[in-house]
Parts: sequence; C-alpha cells; structure tokens
Amino acid sequence: MIEEPPPILGTWKRLYAAIAAYLVALILLFYWFTRSFNR
Amino acid sequence: MRPLDWAVLGCSIVFIVGYGLWRSRNTSTTQQYLLAGREMPWYAMALSIMATQASAITFISTTGQAFADGMRFIQFYFGLPLAMILVSATAVPIFHRAGVYTAYEYLEKRFDAKTRSLVTFIFLIQRGLAVGVALYAPAIVLTVIFGWPDQLTTVLMGVVVVFYTTLGGIKAVTWTDFQQMLIMMAGLFASLACAIWLLPADISFLDAINLAGAAGRLNAVVLEFDPNDRYNVWSGLIGGMFLALAYFGCDQSQVQRYLTGRSIAQSRLSLLFNAVAKIPMQFLILFTGAMVYVFYLFHQPPIVFHPGEMKKIEQRADAAALQSRFDEAWKAREQAARDDPSAIKRHQSDIDAIRKESGASNDANYVFLGFVIKYLPAGLVGLVMAAIFAAAMSTISGEINSLATVTVIDVYRRHISTGGTDSQYLWASRAATVFWGAYAVVTAKYGASLGSLIEAVNMLGSLFYGGLLGVFVLAFYFPRVGADAAFTGVLLGEAAIFAAWKFTDISFLWYNVVGALVVVGAGWLLSASSGQTNPQLPPPTPPQPSGPASR
Repeated sequence: MIEEPPPILGTWKRLYAAIAAYLVALILLFYWFTRSFNR
Repeated sequence: MRPLDWAVLGCSIVFIVGYGLWRSRNTSTTQQYLLAGREMPWYAMALSIMATQASAITFISTTGQAFADGMRFIQFYFGLPLAMILVSATAVPIFHRAGVYTAYEYLEKRFDAKTRSLVTFIFLIQRGLAVGVALYAPAIVLTVIFGWPDQLTTVLMGVVVVFYTTLGGIKAVTWTDFQQMLIMMAGLFASLACAIWLLPADISFLDAINLAGAAGRLNAVVLEFDPNDRYNVWSGLIGGMFLALAYFGCDQSQVQRYLTGRSIAQSRLSLLFNAVAKIPMQFLILFTGAMVYVFYLFHQPPIVFHPGEMKKIEQRADAAALQSRFDEAWKAREQAARDDPSAIKRHQSDIDAIRKESGASNDANYVFLGFVIKYLPAGLVGLVMAAIFAAAMSTISGEINSLATVTVIDVYRRHISTGGTDSQYLWASRAATVFWGAYAVVTAKYGASLGSLIEAVNMLGSLFYGGLLGVFVLAFYFPRVGADAAFTGVLLGEAAIFAAWKFTDISFLWYNVVGALVVVGAGWLLSASSGQTNPQLPPPTPPQPSGPASR
C-alpha cells in the first residue's frame, strides 16, 4: 500500500508538527483566558 | 414543546435516518456492512468520529458541569491531539496494511488467539456497560419534557437506532453521523447565542464573561499538579492522551471508523481533523454552560432543575421556608452580580447550601435542558432537541455497530462458525446488531444511579482502557515480546487498575497510564526473563565472517 502525502505541508511529519504547535497555542490561549477573566 | 419544535425535531430525525438508509442502499456483503467497502472519504469519517464521541451526554452533562464547576473539564481533551498524531503515525497504517475488520483481529496476527480473545472479552464488557449509559442520557430529555417513564423513552430511542443500524450497517451509521454532527453544531450555536441574547439589556457580552469569571466558571487551565485532582493541565495532557490513545487506537467503535477509509491518508486526515476541531468544540459546549450560569444570575432558577425532585421539595413541610431562603439568597447573588461581582462566590455558597439541604442530587444533568425548554424560542427548542437526539443516536449506533462487528468477527467467525459463507456472516451481523440494541435498552435503567453521566462513561472506560492500550503498545513498539508475556501483562495491568481504583484516591484519568505502563513493563520483563519472543521475528543472524582475515 503506497502512502500518499498529506494535502498540505508536504509531509506527514510536518503536518504532525503543525498540529502539536496548534495544541501549544490553544493551551496558551486558554491559560491567558483563565488568567484574564477567572477570579 | 410547541408544534414548530415538534416539526423541527420530527423532520430532523426522519431526514437523518432516511439519508443514512439511502446512502447505504447497496450494502450486500459483510465487508460493505462492517467496513463500508473501505471507500469512505475523510470528511465523512471525520464527522462520524466526532459525532460518535459527542453523545447526548456531552450536551446535557458537560454544559451542566460548566454551570456547576466551571470550564476546567476542557483540560481533559488536551491530550487528544497528541494521541491523534500517534494513532495516525502508527495504528492507522498497521491496521490498514493488516486488512483486518477489527483491532482485535490484528492481535491474533501479532500474538495469538488467547490474547485476541481476552482483549475481545474486555472490549465487550467495557463497551457493553457504556452503551446502556449512552442510551439513558436522552431518556432524561423526554422524562424532563413529558414525564414519560425512562423505560419507554429508551425503548423508543433504541428502536429508531437499531432500525437504521441493522439495515444499513456502518455506511448508514457514518452518513447519519455526518448529518447528526451538522445538526449538533447548529444546536450548539443556537443555545450559546440564546444564552447571551437573553441576558438583560445592560449586560454586555464582555460583562457576561467577567461575571462568569468572577463566579470561578472560566477556570479553563489549572497548572498545579495534583494526582488527586481530576482536571488539571497535566492530568489532561498525560492522562487524557493515554485515554484518547486507548479510545482511538484500541476501541473498535473508533477504529472501525477509520478502517472504512479508502486509503491510509484518508483515515489519517479524518483523525487529524478531530485533533484540530475537538478542543474548540468542547470549549464552545463548556462556554455555553458558563453563559447559562450567567443567565441564571439575572433570571431566578428553581431550587433544583429536576422537575421530579422539585415536586418532592414542594411537598415538604418546610417548603415555603426553604423557598423563601432560596429567594433571598438568589436576590443577594443578583445584587452582587450588578454591584459587586467579587461577592458572587460567597452568595453562590449560600445557594449551594440550600440546594444541598433540599436533598437534591445529580442536578447538573438537568440544568441545560431546563434552560432550553423554558427560555428558548419556538423552533430553536426543537433544533436543540434534535441536536441532543442526533448526538445520542450517533453514539449509540456507533457502539452497537462496533459491538456487533466484534461479536461476529472475533467471536462468531473465529470460534463458532469458522467456514461460513459471506451471506451467513452478513445476517449474523444484522442479528448481533439487534441483540446489542436490545441489550442497551435493558441495561439503560442503570444509568440513573451513575451520577454525572459524562464522568461515569469516562470512568467506566478508564477501568479497562489501560489494559487495552498496553497490549497494543506491546504489539506496535515491542516486536520481540511474545504472546504469553502479552497475555499475562494484560491481566496484571487490569489488576493494577482495579487496585488503583479500590485502594487509592488518584483521579480516574491516571488509571489508563497505570494500566498501560504495567502491561508494557510486565510484558517486556516476562518476555525478557522467559526468553520467549515473538515467533514471527526472523531468527537472530549469526555473526558473518568479514574481512580478509577470515578467508
């Protein structure tokens, strides 16, 4: 079975890295949200 | 519900079921029935995977949890994108290349029949226990609305789901899931918009966020590490990742979704879409619960949201006094919301004390429904109800379908009728679907005693997922570990999980970590100490003479 490349970013490794970076960004965003609004 | 709501609800269900059956009309072989002929596109699998996870429990209980405890439950999903990456990189290509119907079928290829049978048994027990809870959740909806008995509503729901799942197999399940997910998103946005729109005119959206924060309902990230604390960023990243790895890598209800993909790339994309979309979706659901909390700062709620419990309170001798104290406490909280938000928590404690005194329990599951039914305009109530039913149907159909698949492929075809015809297995699959549907209806009544439903389901899963995950980690990453070591490792892992559950106070999210580590550690040690290795590996190559000196 031949592995197709992903439709974006060229390789699966790059796509995985992008998703990991997205997760870090989400957690930072939620952390800011908590620090800014939650008492 | 008004006539327009009934029309929206009825049309949605008829359309979803009809569409699913139409898309699955050419199902005539076992492979088409159980794996959709391996021709599904990524977007259908992606929404199907999300819809199967997003049960009615997600809508009913998660919003209630944010109302009562804030948004920290979001951290539970932080490990999911990491798990999606790992499953995409390992499990997806391995299962695809093995050409299996179930994840457990692969275990016999890798280990032996007894390991496959043990893991099959664990899956059937675990998923069998959860399917009843998944069916019970929407029964709450109809109990709240109509006062119908739980049993009648579970039978009605069960019949609709079994009807299209039995007729159309996984293709019907996937395409109905696709539609159900779209309706769920519409219902979710409608609920959130109404919770904000119905706030008093002088309360802006930013005010609402500040009030929710003042009440401690926006606690999305907790950095302090505490193994006994159920939700913090560490338990979410580590424990949540292990739970998601087990769910997506070893649970047939998910594995079967991406096995229907027409290629490895399509299956990977379906999982990675989930990695991107799941956390924002859960954030929206929890944020809706937080906004419902803010709404009730300005609109007086009942002492408890469950109508039956409320009636019991009204019949108490001290009902008038209790109600009077509750009115005062709520007015004080409303005043605080307008004048001094920092005092909201203190007044919330007074309200909580009165609710506790009233004897109410498990009220979180009724908060969202109480809000929807009483305050949403005609049509939108029907849409939210359709979303809840869609969520319930997508989860139950997925679970029944996977239970039937494992029953036929890993039990019936493996142990009872090994040389049957394709037609025989197709009919066995339909019969197994009906059986598991009936089983779900019968066991649904036990859902009532399980507290917060969303936690009950995850808790049940965590008792078994660690063992499942451990054996698949051994299979994928430890090629030298043999069958006996893996089998014993699973038993030891499950023993460790049940010991952790009975004798420690650690959060259930850590059970998956404990179980998986014990299975892997024990499997590896046993294999190394006994000298037994995987017989499929080539024998060690003897040292080759090399260089001119050996000639």
